[in-house]
Amino acid sequence: MKTDLRKRFGRNSYRRAAAWLEQAVEGLFTFSGWISIVIVLLITVFLFKEGFGLFQAPTVEKGYVLCVNPSNKVERLDGAQIKRIFDYEITSWNEVGGDELEIRPFRFEEIFDYYSDEELGADYELLPEKLAEVIGGDESVVAFVPEQYLPQDRAGIKVVDTGHITPGDFFGGREWLPTSTPAARFGALPLILGTLWVSFFAILIALPLGMGVAIYMSELAGERMRKVLKPAIELLAGIPSVVYGFFGLVVIVPLVQRAFNLPVGETAFAGCLILAIMALPTIITVAEDAMRNTPRAMREASLSLGATQWQTIYRVVIPYASSGISAAIVLGIGRAVGETMAVLMVTGNAAVMPTSLFEPIRTIPATIAAELGEAPAGGAHYQSLFLLGCILFLITLVISVSAELISKKQRQVV
Amino acid sequence: MKENTNSFSLQATGRRVRSALSQQVAFGIIRLLGFVVVGLLVWIQGFIIVNGVGVISWEFLTEAPAEGMTSGGIFPAIVGTLCLVAGSMVFSFPLGVMAGIYMNEYTKDHWSVRLIRVVTNNLSGIPSIVFGLFGMALFVNTLGFGDSIIAGSLTLGLLVLPIVIRTTEEALKAVPDSYRSGSVALGASKLQTIFRVILPSAFPNIITGLILAIGRVSGETAPILFTAVAYFLPKLPTSVFDQVMALPYHLYVVATSGTDLEASRPIAYGTALVLIVIVLLMNLLASLIRKRMSKR
Amino acid sequence: MKKIVFSLCLLACSFGAANAQKIKGSDTVLPLSQKEAENYLKKHADAVVTVTGGGSGVGISALLEGTTDIAQASRRMKFDERNKLKAAGKTVKEVIVAYDALAVVVHPSNPVKQLTREQLEGIFTGKITNWKELGGKDLKIVPYSRETSSGTYEFFKSSVLKNRNYMSGIMSMPATGAIVQSVSQTPGAIGYIGLAYLSDEVQAVKVSYDQGVTFVAPSIAHAKDQTYPIVRPLYYYYEMQSEALVKPFVDYVLSAEGQKTVADLGYVTIK
Repeated sequence: MKTDLRKRFGRNSYRRAAAWLEQAVEGLFTFSGWISIVIVLLITVFLFKEGFGLFQAPTVEKGYVLCVNPSNKVERLDGAQIKRIFDYEITSWNEVGGDELEIRPFRFEEIFDYYSDEELGADYELLPEKLAEVIGGDESVVAFVPEQYLPQDRAGIKVVDTGHITPGDFFGGREWLPTSTPAARFGALPLILGTLWVSFFAILIALPLGMGVAIYMSELAGERMRKVLKPAIELLAGIPSVVYGFFGLVVIVPLVQRAFNLPVGETAFAGCLILAIMALPTIITVAEDAMRNTPRAMREASLSLGATQWQTIYRVVIPYASSGISAAIVLGIGRAVGETMAVLMVTGNAAVMPTSLFEPIRTIPATIAAELGEAPAGGAHYQSLFLLGCILFLITLVISVSAELISKKQRQVV
Repeated sequence: MKENTNSFSLQATGRRVRSALSQQVAFGIIRLLGFVVVGLLVWIQGFIIVNGVGVISWEFLTEAPAEGMTSGGIFPAIVGTLCLVAGSMVFSFPLGVMAGIYMNEYTKDHWSVRLIRVVTNNLSGIPSIVFGLFGMALFVNTLGFGDSIIAGSLTLGLLVLPIVIRTTEEALKAVPDSYRSGSVALGASKLQTIFRVILPSAFPNIITGLILAIGRVSGETAPILFTAVAYFLPKLPTSVFDQVMALPYHLYVVATSGTDLEASRPIAYGTALVLIVIVLLMNLLASLIRKRMSKR
Repeated sequence: MKKIVFSLCLLACSFGAANAQKIKGSDTVLPLSQKEAENYLKKHADAVVTVTGGGSGVGISALLEGTTDIAQASRRMKFDERNKLKAAGKTVKEVIVAYDALAVVVHPSNPVKQLTREQLEGIFTGKITNWKELGGKDLKIVPYSRETSSGTYEFFKSSVLKNRNYMSGIMSMPATGAIVQSVSQTPGAIGYIGLAYLSDEVQAVKVSYDQGVTFVAPSIAHAKDQTYPIVRPLYYYYEMQSEALVKPFVDYVLSAEGQKTVADLGYVTIK
């Protein structure tokens, strides 16, 4: 190949070609070098672009409006009120600022109970008229209808102002009913808290275990024992999360249910146990590294002052490695926060505010995994899931950065 | 006075005894914890192996699912996973290795490298489900690949890119600087040095990274959930734009849906076992290569 | 080398897609389509059928986007879905392939054997929380639901809950199989499942839609003579344009042989 080139181009042009090639390849390397930054930027852009679209979405399902009789005093309704009205929990107009009058919720499909298809016309051209008849004829009605079938000039009806979905609704809302009509409820608070709740307790379980093993491996274990433990931990890290989930489903869930005599086994606690096992390898590896890095001189100084080995470990080694251990905790939480399949399979996925370990819980990743496939692209539901993804992304970003900062601190101490 | 010293030394002995005792207790607990971790591994793997090993047969590995996923095999899922793994490696391996070369050979300890390293770390911390979201938005919807091998492979490729980059960087760091200066002193260009000297000696370590990445990719479910997988597709894929079945997703489906969960349990155990065996093999392979390396 | 493989794959794709058809949508119809496809492929070795779940809504929106050939649905197409398809210039054909009865199931040890619609509504909206209120043991009721926007979830909501929302924080299972599993393990559980999923591990309750005058047990016979109230048709939707492509498969499902599979799986046949 090279001699060929040499023959064809002569020495000089070969050298020029080689220099050019060198530069081209260097350019390629540079591009690849920056690829992670490009990817992170792309992820940010796509996630946030889709996610923040949610705040442009109307409270009521897109393309639909809520109408009332023109004589009704109510001008605006918020998402929570709409949901409770259509659930027959708010039954009188005076609860939402109107007259003392019973509310009659009317869903668009019900029009087909009142009129036959012929009466509505082949292309439903008579539909607006009939809708106006229904709404205009009943002072107590609140109707959920498609915008395109509103009567011309909105004659004989009044459209209620329902506003848009606000960040407050999303981050502060406590109801996650993404497919409820007329107004889907995107209250992410239970999901956010659920994720943090289950991760926090998972780490609480994993930490003593992980620390113990890390101490054992860095301070006590002989070479033979390390040879058993190290691959065991690597394997524990390598088991796919769906296998953990399956194991949790058939073993842990029934076990938790029986052991604590619970009405249900799919609880936050089952999730915690599985997550704890999954976070163990991360905690052990990082903490062990930090402890191993304790200078020999410090250990020997402590021992020569008459401290026992155990005293040396908890008075010298652990304090010295404390920032590395904090990094281990933070990374362990990171692992737990983002875990999807295992949690989806064992926690029961009920979107409630977490109050106990022995209740079902719903996390952000499980919500995305369970619902994204069923959310039509571009809709408010789809966008809300991307917004959840953004939150997850930000949480893990904070975690990575703080782990980075913590371990930097340790390096500076050295 | 004498009494005083005596009681002092007695106190000291007492303290020593107590600290020796507390050391014994602490070490006992710590040893126990070590066994607990090994026990956990044995429990999980043992459970899957014991329940799954009876299911594994030639037919199980080479046939399509039958009777509503309650009998037959998982062949299409194995092939699908192979396709996804191969695709993701074709994409991420060259890119990751080149990125590692850039970081270690071209711009050592420059601010940009530190930035890249931080960002790469962040990238590896991003949950797999977020990759799934991103893959769906970019590859499936924006680029219009649909649910396909290529969309799934690219998503998985992004996921393991940080692993490949990091192992490459580590591998290159392990190459002594004398190799570089030696090669340059002999008149080799930078490119020649990289391809003729540095890469060959770093290669086994890089391959170890590749193998671990394969182990990781073959078990991931969340990223391919919305980018590649089909519930049932007995025909093998003929192009990169086909959907596929995949082992981890198959396990998820068989474990949670289907009209008769009891009847499909064996299939689930078998699938879980195959997944675990893949991970075991990959780890074994990686450590074998590492061992041969250290001998050299 | 890699590039060559890649372009070969691309090339292969343009040929391979000729008689492939994709079926996507409802998880309820999923086992049926899977089994039908399995049998169909035995007879037509050259055909390629892909079956994917996701939920009725997803199937229909995939039909709209042109990413599936058949949308399987466990509910009728919604008015606005129909409108969207119309706006996209697509005429869609609707075929009922089978019927499915929804059974309400409890743990086998539960003494409560029958419930009215109103009681079910109370349970699933969170108004009734203890089995004691329904004449059972003093035990907390644990209602299990499907994930939002599955057709089963929607149908149960419109038929049994009269469109009211489920209690917030109801346990939602990713698939019907998981509901069977959980109900069989949980003494206080109640859930709803397709008749096809009914097994000995759970116990179906009789349901009354007339304030407790008559209670009917879910069964294929009762679904057929329309005495059991919670029955819904299962649909295939496809574009008229691609009729030639999907017709053989759809016809197979409707044929005597295909309908035998329907019956074998525990669904209700169309005739």
